[in-house]
Amino acid sequence: MAMAAVVEQRPIRLVVRDAELLRSRLTVFFRLLLAIPLFVWVALRGIAALVVAFVLWLAVLIEGTTPQSLHDFVAGYLRYATQVSAYVFLAADPYPWFRCQAEYPVDLEIDPPVRQSRWTGFFRLVLALPALLLALALGGGLMNGSSGQSWSASSGGGDENAVWYAFSSGGVAAVAAFLAWFAILARGTEPRGLRDLTAFALNYAAQAGGYLLLLTPVYPTSDPKRAEPYSDLPEHPVRIVVTDDLERPRLTVLFRLLLAIPHFVWLLLWSVAAFFAAVAAWFAALATGRVPLALHRFLAAYDRYGTHLFAYVYVVGRRFPGFTGRAGSYGVDLEIDPPERQNRWTVLFRVFLAIPALLLASALGGVALVVGVLGWWYALARGRMPEGLRNLGASCLRYSAQSYAYLFLLTARYPFAAPVLERRAEPDPSPLALPGDAF
Amino acid sequence: MLFPTAVPDDLSLPAVDVDRTFGAEFVDEAKRYERFFYVDWILAQIALLATLWLYARRGVAFTRESSAGPIGTGMLLGMLGLGIAWLVGIPFRVAAHWWSRRHDQTDLSYLDWIVQDWTILGAEFLSICLALLIVMGLARWLGERWWLPGAAVFVAIAALFNFVAPYLDFTTKPLDDKVLLADAARYEDELGLASIPIRVEEVSKDTDQANAYAFGLGPSRRVVFWDTMLEEPFSEGEQRVVLAHELAHHSQNHLPEGIGWFALFAVPGAWILMRATRRRGGMGSPEAVPLTLLVVVVFQLVTTPLANVISRRMEAEADWKALQVTRDPAALEQLMVGFSETGLGDPDPPDLAQLMLGTHPALADRVAMARAWSFRDSP
Repeated sequence: MAMAAVVEQRPIRLVVRDAELLRSRLTVFFRLLLAIPLFVWVALRGIAALVVAFVLWLAVLIEGTTPQSLHDFVAGYLRYATQVSAYVFLAADPYPWFRCQAEYPVDLEIDPPVRQSRWTGFFRLVLALPALLLALALGGGLMNGSSGQSWSASSGGGDENAVWYAFSSGGVAAVAAFLAWFAILARGTEPRGLRDLTAFALNYAAQAGGYLLLLTPVYPTSDPKRAEPYSDLPEHPVRIVVTDDLERPRLTVLFRLLLAIPHFVWLLLWSVAAFFAAVAAWFAALATGRVPLALHRFLAAYDRYGTHLFAYVYVVGRRFPGFTGRAGSYGVDLEIDPPERQNRWTVLFRVFLAIPALLLASALGGVALVVGVLGWWYALARGRMPEGLRNLGASCLRYSAQSYAYLFLLTARYPFAAPVLERRAEPDPSPLALPGDAF
Repeated sequence: MLFPTAVPDDLSLPAVDVDRTFGAEFVDEAKRYERFFYVDWILAQIALLATLWLYARRGVAFTRESSAGPIGTGMLLGMLGLGIAWLVGIPFRVAAHWWSRRHDQTDLSYLDWIVQDWTILGAEFLSICLALLIVMGLARWLGERWWLPGAAVFVAIAALFNFVAPYLDFTTKPLDDKVLLADAARYEDELGLASIPIRVEEVSKDTDQANAYAFGLGPSRRVVFWDTMLEEPFSEGEQRVVLAHELAHHSQNHLPEGIGWFALFAVPGAWILMRATRRRGGMGSPEAVPLTLLVVVVFQLVTTPLANVISRRMEAEADWKALQVTRDPAALEQLMVGFSETGLGDPDPPDLAQLMLGTHPALADRVAMARAWSFRDSP
């Protein structure tokens, strides 16, 4: 508990005080069962908080500000819900009990009340909808009702898709927790990337909840830069490079999906070729321990092309991409290192080893889709993409690209789930820099 | 070779009293109904031409929105041009849809209509990308000589599409009316055709209008009835006439002839395109694409009257052959009245409307042909 990283000053900030990432295997194994009393208590406190939030709403409409005592009550609920969420999603280990814990490993700092615009206060529920939608996709908190949905889906009985429903309604955080559960039982520590991703989701959910419940007039930001104080990227052979601006001509935004149609056709054709190339690369890597340069280039171009295309579709990128996946040709680009020697055992089981990464990539794909939908509307109205939304989309695309690079044997390094986009100039000598740190 | 017809050259069509045949009140209503579409169409064409003219001048600016190479950028400019034209056309299409709904000519909701409109636009985007890929690829390879092989490739694609389309049709089902199928076998025999599958397309959920069509080439030839054609108010005799008419399209080789005509239009069209885009760097350059759209639309508009003459001639021939095999001019006449009633079609449209929009002879002329056949060929 040496490091206490504080997220950049915003009215609602996530504080992470858990550098070691140690977890008790026993409590992790029974985590959901242990959390049942907490769920009940959070739900009860949530009802009370909603009632108080309604009073806050009236106060904003009449006074333009909120009473300190009521603000503190709702803020206390938000902190507690975040702590419980962190516990449930394995981002923290200590049991949060039934009141806010001081110095909890994952906690919130919430500023005192400030004046708020009566207009934005009046329409708060409507204004919060996009943020709540994104929070739902990230699934970072009990605030957005994801746990309730997960439970109802799981309790449906006999529904083969119940687990997937649980994931999809619990969002990225639920998938990260699911994967972390296995990792922790095996190693006793949570993979850094998964924790950082969950913390990011918690942070966004707390911001969205705080905005909805009138704790702050500041709109939530989804910029992965907010995760930088407690997270960093390790060296990775597959890196995303964003050089694009944020301008988005409305006409190309309006027709974005239709403009991508020829690309989808091309991607389909290329995917068939990439499948056979990947099979050939697999045999070659099994035989020689290395993917031949020509196949590496072909598959790297395919991975890069997919990133260019989906960046365009999700409004993360501005310009119409080329059809060749050429390095440096697009504003949201991939840098992929040359082929490296790979362990034949990991090559042999690569498809199975890639499944967790692909599962998480799929969940992040859902986030990217929400980014695309929200970005489309915003860009259509304003002619530009919000930087935070753009960067979150780029982060999701980066993870997806790393996952496919791993599957296609372009790298032996497992994808890293932390949402940050760029490495720090001065590498932090923390465990995340260790080679082979999964997720 | 492409212009001969089975309709006798010396056939003179008798005058038809439209009000008496179709009903004076109905004719008035149909004229009012169609007049709206004529005005709507003219305004839409003016708006389209003005938009494409502006796009031809300013559209080049969109090249900076592309990270693709010249052909990819050309595709983007082509799609954006279509997109802009589509946007400008929205008010006119909405008005037309509103008018159709107001006159109970369609049950399609606005939401379904929008979805359908977007789907059509998506297909158009894909088509223009394919076309530009071919033209720009050839132009970058062959320079200004692209137009001749380019036209040949488009004709080949048209033929291929005509041949393949029936195999890609998953929306129809086989006709199960045994009486009509027996008639089909008889007509095929008389027309010298091999057995042609007769299929039914379900459209009755969206419209009350009736239609049928022939498509395919050689072994892929088909005849398709809209299900509305097989219901009231159309009698069995009228259905037989429609069936014979569509089979006649196949027996008279109208679809291959259509491709031949397309080739005759495509060659000069490609040459004009080559000449028109020369000052923009030729068709190999993406900067030429906005101008290309304007040239293509103007060329289509200019050649529409001629294309309609050819189409009307083929339809008249199919009517004549249908009369010869069914020997039932009364059914054809009644069919035209039925078409007019279900589609609120003006039996005797203005000449200008017929010139620009008339792919089929006017209903009154088709009735006249039925009567002319009675006078001339009935036993």
